[in-house]
Amino acid sequence: MFAIFTRGVVDSWRATLAWAVGLVAAAALYLPIFPSIAGTGQMQQLLNSMPPELTKALNYDQIGTGPGYTQSTLYGLLGFLLLSMAAIAWGASAVGGDEESGLLELTLAHGVTRVSVVIGRALAILARLLFLVLVMFCAVAVLNGPSQLGLDLGKVAGGSFGFAGLIALSAAAALLGGALRGRKVHGLILGAAVAVLGYVFNAVGRQSESVEWLLKLSPYHWLLGSDPFSHGVDWGVCAGLWIGTLALMTLAAVVLRARDVGR
Amino acid sequence: MAPTISVDSLHKSFARHEVLHGLSFEVQPGTVLGLIGPNGAGKTTTIRCLLDIIRPSSGALSVLGEDPRRAGPGLRRRIGYLPGELILESRVTGRRLLDHFARLSGPVRPGRIAELADRLAVPLDKQVRELSKGNKQKLGLIQAFMHDPEVLILDEPTSGLDPLLQQEFLSMVAEVKTDGRSILLSSHVLSELQQSADRVAILREGSIVANASVEELRATAVRRLRIRLEDDGGAPDTPALASAAGQLERVPGVDGIRVLADGRLEASVHDGVRPLLQTLAGLPVTDVVLEEPDLEEAVLTLYGPPPGGGSGHPPGRPGNSGQPGHRHGRHGRKEA
Repeated sequence: MFAIFTRGVVDSWRATLAWAVGLVAAAALYLPIFPSIAGTGQMQQLLNSMPPELTKALNYDQIGTGPGYTQSTLYGLLGFLLLSMAAIAWGASAVGGDEESGLLELTLAHGVTRVSVVIGRALAILARLLFLVLVMFCAVAVLNGPSQLGLDLGKVAGGSFGFAGLIALSAAAALLGGALRGRKVHGLILGAAVAVLGYVFNAVGRQSESVEWLLKLSPYHWLLGSDPFSHGVDWGVCAGLWIGTLALMTLAAVVLRARDVGR
Repeated sequence: MAPTISVDSLHKSFARHEVLHGLSFEVQPGTVLGLIGPNGAGKTTTIRCLLDIIRPSSGALSVLGEDPRRAGPGLRRRIGYLPGELILESRVTGRRLLDHFARLSGPVRPGRIAELADRLAVPLDKQVRELSKGNKQKLGLIQAFMHDPEVLILDEPTSGLDPLLQQEFLSMVAEVKTDGRSILLSSHVLSELQQSADRVAILREGSIVANASVEELRATAVRRLRIRLEDDGGAPDTPALASAAGQLERVPGVDGIRVLADGRLEASVHDGVRPLLQTLAGLPVTDVVLEEPDLEEAVLTLYGPPPGGGSGHPPGRPGNSGQPGHRHGRHGRKEA
């Protein structure tokens, strides 16, 4: 399992680095413009001029504060999008893509168990994901002062851990989807369903009381609905996301163990 | 001695479509068994069952005395496997790839990878995607041989290798045999197997239609005989030819007699040659060509419908007549 894990981490360092650069760029793009927006009241004017439904859909209702701004723009939008894309692609490739291309057969013919292959690769995905979230955290910490965000880094750290769990849940769904039938596209569909539906259910559920029940189905809302970057993360939700992730990953291993590979 | 590989009544179905109909065969220690059959006959499916990549619908399998389904990674470390459709990760060097497999299935003796790479002349520091099909196949062979496994299972091992390297491969096979280790290898061409295999199991549509030693196959294979007679004048219808043809027809195991356009007589010889030689001695023969037995043709006969309309059995199913060697049935099974 260790060999599978290290290979999953080490051999993909270029791709991991590219994603890290993208995330730092996203942070560097959004965060420094906070003072010019929040300080002048222009932002509030803009928000007032926007339909309230749109502000809610974009989670921009808290955007006037540093933590709210950081959550809405970086963790809630661009960072969420970028990391979800990366994590779903990794999850779908780890078993489904590997089996579809024919690579998995030779690996499984060596001295490994199927469960150890799935767990090794799943842990490699989580390690890369946690690394990227850590890079984001560092970028935010560095920009906190200059961008006058007034962030409590303890809360950002907790929020980041929860955020990693949110993304990991999509990755785990993608891993499971790929493991079900050995098709990468099934992984992409299942992973994207968790991420996209989570986002959409949050955006729609916040519109009116009649559709509020949708929020209960949105992992995105479970985490970000309580504004973890302003008020601190809800550790129960955080644990739920991570337990869900590990459960889906374990299920992927069980599913792969039970079936024929490569057909 | 217990067989290295034993397959007993192996059935495999995919979505209610049965592709293996109760195969049985064995590979003895220190021997090479060739699995031969056309594409789609079930060779790869059988091999994948032995590696626990797919699971049998029913039947008993044993590799090195263990059931592949239950034995786990410990057993697979003792097997060297080359898949029929070899797909390798492309964005790493051959060296890194082999090191990775060595970590999974090792230990690999230090210097062993370099030794095999030298032997097969494959560059290890190039990215896999830059390698030709033949060079990728060599990496596949190295990962199968490098940990000196007790049994090698090789699916179409020489595909993409040039003739010189096929010779090198044959000598690697011979070394494994000398060590008392066993090999199961598959091919759709007999010529690949007849130099390396001790026995050949012929697979057709998911059943074994024959299981014979290469010698047995050779003995029953058809040889082609061509003779030229004195004073034939090059004409295809002389009385001498007609009389010779008549005499040959009476020789047991000789048939298919015809006169070629250049005036020679041709015949197919199925059995031993002694009665034939006696007959030939009495004929005014000036030239005789008795070809090497054509194993390829013998096998093709088994693939296709039996010559002369067949024996009434469906082709390739047990009960076919005229096949070489014995059929693998209930006898010769693994001792429980």
